[in-house]
Amino acid sequence: MDAITDNIPALLHGIGTTCLLTILGYAFSLVFGTLLAVCRVSPIPPLRWAATVYVEIFRNMPMLSLLVLLAFGMPDAGLLLPLFWTGVLALVLSGSAFVCETVRSGINTVPIGHAEAARSIGLGFFGVLRFVVLPQAFRTMVQPLVNIFIGTVIGSSLCAAVAVPELTYQTQAINNQYAQAVLMFLFVGAVYLCLAFAGGLVGWLLERRLSPTRLLNRHTTRIGAGA
Amino acid sequence: MNPSTRPSRRALLGAAALLPVGAALAACSSSGSDAPAIGGSGGSDGGGGSNVGSDYDEIIAGGPVADDATVSGSEWAQGIKEAGKLKRGGTTTGQIFSLKDPSTGKVTGFDAGITQLLAQYILGKDSTEKIDYLDTTVETRETMLQNGTVDVVVATYSITAPRMEKVNFAGPYYSSGAAIQVRSDDDSITSVDDLKGKKITTESASTGYDAIMKHVPDAQDSDIQQFAENDQCIAALKQKRVDAYVLDQSILLSNAVADDSLKVVGEPFTKDPYGIGLSKDHEDSLDFVNGFLQKIYDDGTWAKLWKATIGQVVEGDTPAPPTIGDTAATE
Amino acid sequence: MSASATRVLFDEPGPRGRRRILLLSLLSALAILGVIAVGLYQFGVNGQLAADRWAPFLRPDYIAFLGQGAKGTFLATAVAAVFAFPLALLLALGRLSPFLPLRWVTTAWIEVFRSIPMLLVVYFFLLALPGPPFNVTFPVFWMLVIPMILVSSATTAEVFRAGIRAVDRGQSEAAASIGLTHAQSLRYVVIPQAIRLVLPSLILALVSLLKDSTLGFVVSYNELQYQGKSLVAYTHFLIQTYLIVAFIYVALNFVLTQFAHWLDRRMQRRAASTTGSLVD
Repeated sequence: MDAITDNIPALLHGIGTTCLLTILGYAFSLVFGTLLAVCRVSPIPPLRWAATVYVEIFRNMPMLSLLVLLAFGMPDAGLLLPLFWTGVLALVLSGSAFVCETVRSGINTVPIGHAEAARSIGLGFFGVLRFVVLPQAFRTMVQPLVNIFIGTVIGSSLCAAVAVPELTYQTQAINNQYAQAVLMFLFVGAVYLCLAFAGGLVGWLLERRLSPTRLLNRHTTRIGAGA
Repeated sequence: MNPSTRPSRRALLGAAALLPVGAALAACSSSGSDAPAIGGSGGSDGGGGSNVGSDYDEIIAGGPVADDATVSGSEWAQGIKEAGKLKRGGTTTGQIFSLKDPSTGKVTGFDAGITQLLAQYILGKDSTEKIDYLDTTVETRETMLQNGTVDVVVATYSITAPRMEKVNFAGPYYSSGAAIQVRSDDDSITSVDDLKGKKITTESASTGYDAIMKHVPDAQDSDIQQFAENDQCIAALKQKRVDAYVLDQSILLSNAVADDSLKVVGEPFTKDPYGIGLSKDHEDSLDFVNGFLQKIYDDGTWAKLWKATIGQVVEGDTPAPPTIGDTAATE
Repeated sequence: MSASATRVLFDEPGPRGRRRILLLSLLSALAILGVIAVGLYQFGVNGQLAADRWAPFLRPDYIAFLGQGAKGTFLATAVAAVFAFPLALLLALGRLSPFLPLRWVTTAWIEVFRSIPMLLVVYFFLLALPGPPFNVTFPVFWMLVIPMILVSSATTAEVFRAGIRAVDRGQSEAAASIGLTHAQSLRYVVIPQAIRLVLPSLILALVSLLKDSTLGFVVSYNELQYQGKSLVAYTHFLIQTYLIVAFIYVALNFVLTQFAHWLDRRMQRRAASTTGSLVD
């Protein structure tokens, strides 16, 4: 137990860094990923192509490769970011590719007629997306977005490989001094589980708020089961 | 060497089969700052090579072989002889100590040499190929010894009191120390005291971390950046993420040999006795391996191996081997 | 994306609109190329583009060395998938079953293994193996593949669950009405349709398995990332090696994702010629 009790400040610092990495990485992923999705369906071909190439590269690249390349490649390409921000950037690059795909397939689920109706009342490209398509699409996107959140939590652990002092990194440092690795991994696993759970809970609440049809379904199911 | 004129892997293997192995290896291994075997560049940075002397294979081949009675006298050694394989825990990506050549698959270095000598000692001549090199990390070393995944751990494995509660250590077979690497154009750091308040890198889970915490004045965890690989630490240093790199002196020296923009300052500021990790389930293995070490100390094989590996980068005379059982804790 | 699908989101541009699109196209193309050029230039200034740092990767022995890694990656991915996917289907069925304890156990399994970083699972598995007197050991291959199976079974179970739920309720009702039991209806009606529905997602699960196999470097299994690490230690070409390794991963996964998309499109064309979609 002393491996944990002796190192509470370091562990709290690690948990804080993990949370910050996750939240920043996820928030920027959402924004940037949505922008990318807009690029992918935009009328401007180079933006469409660039977004497509971007998505294919970053959703197919293992997080570990990405982190190592960013941490040691970017300084030689003229950009020396602090390691923490390198970690955030890696999470955003990979996360936004997945967000983009999620938004795009979310857009897919909106019936064509809605977009046509919106256009017929005079809305332009951004108007159609902003007021008609995206709000409807968002409902079906909640679950995939929760999965991306969990992916961001998990991905943040790999930032340990480039010396970002997040939870896994701190744990490895502590494991060097104490021979209680199993206990440490149990503890850390529980922390990650809580983080992922928190994300799942928010998603569940959002989904419930956003989907009246779902509530309706649940009622009908109950009635069906009772019959 | 021009890449286009280099022999293919198959040709190399063929050559290795025909020639005495030592000669074939001499053709593709580098020593000191000569053109590296691989990469084709001997430039200011980059370019690699295993950095072992050309007589490395001869030295290994000239090592001792235990007689049947000695092997059968140890249940542990007998078990390895029956299995026909020595399972070694360690790394194959460690400069100077244990590095794998991607072209030939051969592992060379000081730790690799000790392992190959031990394999030969138990399994007889031409047994250097009968080794399973399994990677262990600091977290897994003791467990993998305890559950028998590996027979020995030879991995710049410092003998410490907490570890001795879990595993046995033969040796020490080498006593090393942590040193400081800086950029060549940096004259502000000349000793461990100058590291105060500086950003320092070291390999994850290495002895470097303890060395920094113990010897650098007011060392803070947050000033230390740990990376998994030597080359990542080098990159962090060259890209000025950190001001110094602390690790085993011989590894740092080999980095400086490969790359003009790096240098090593001062003398080692710690003393780390490296031991061969053994499972406590086989108490007989301790005497057996210590007997082996004493033999290579006495017949000069140890000194020759040192000269062909660590001696390629560390200047000065070959040191005397450490005294077996002298496990005085690290400073 | 096809031109016809895009047109749903914006009006067919007139002459002025076309000019504006052309201008924006040129500007954005220039901006994108500019960023790439500056990055490459800096790379060159720092000597990372020097031919002698790249040429070695054309050597047959280096290609063979990385090829070995790719083989290891394939093998680990394939074996993990063979075990993980059926397990995932069972977990999904367990989570949907009316039997409460089974639902709890499978839900816990799924939630734990999809929320914990695989790195921790790998370490845990390494350390949790019983020591003396049992001395359980596995070859390094299984030390990597078993954690991959555990993690993938959880994420893929969610894919199957979504698939099973997406099968129209009418199907199971119809099955019940012709007298099939719950199990029979699952076995003969729902699951076959669900598997077809989730086939593209399964291939994407294969992509994440392939990416997860990079953690083989922790247990020193000879997969691509680990071979890259060995190569770096020997050559000191850190950036070049990892760029090439990353490129190989992207190429392999790209083939897989394109295959998934192709399957997806084919199935959508077949299934929903009436509903259609805004973008493909």
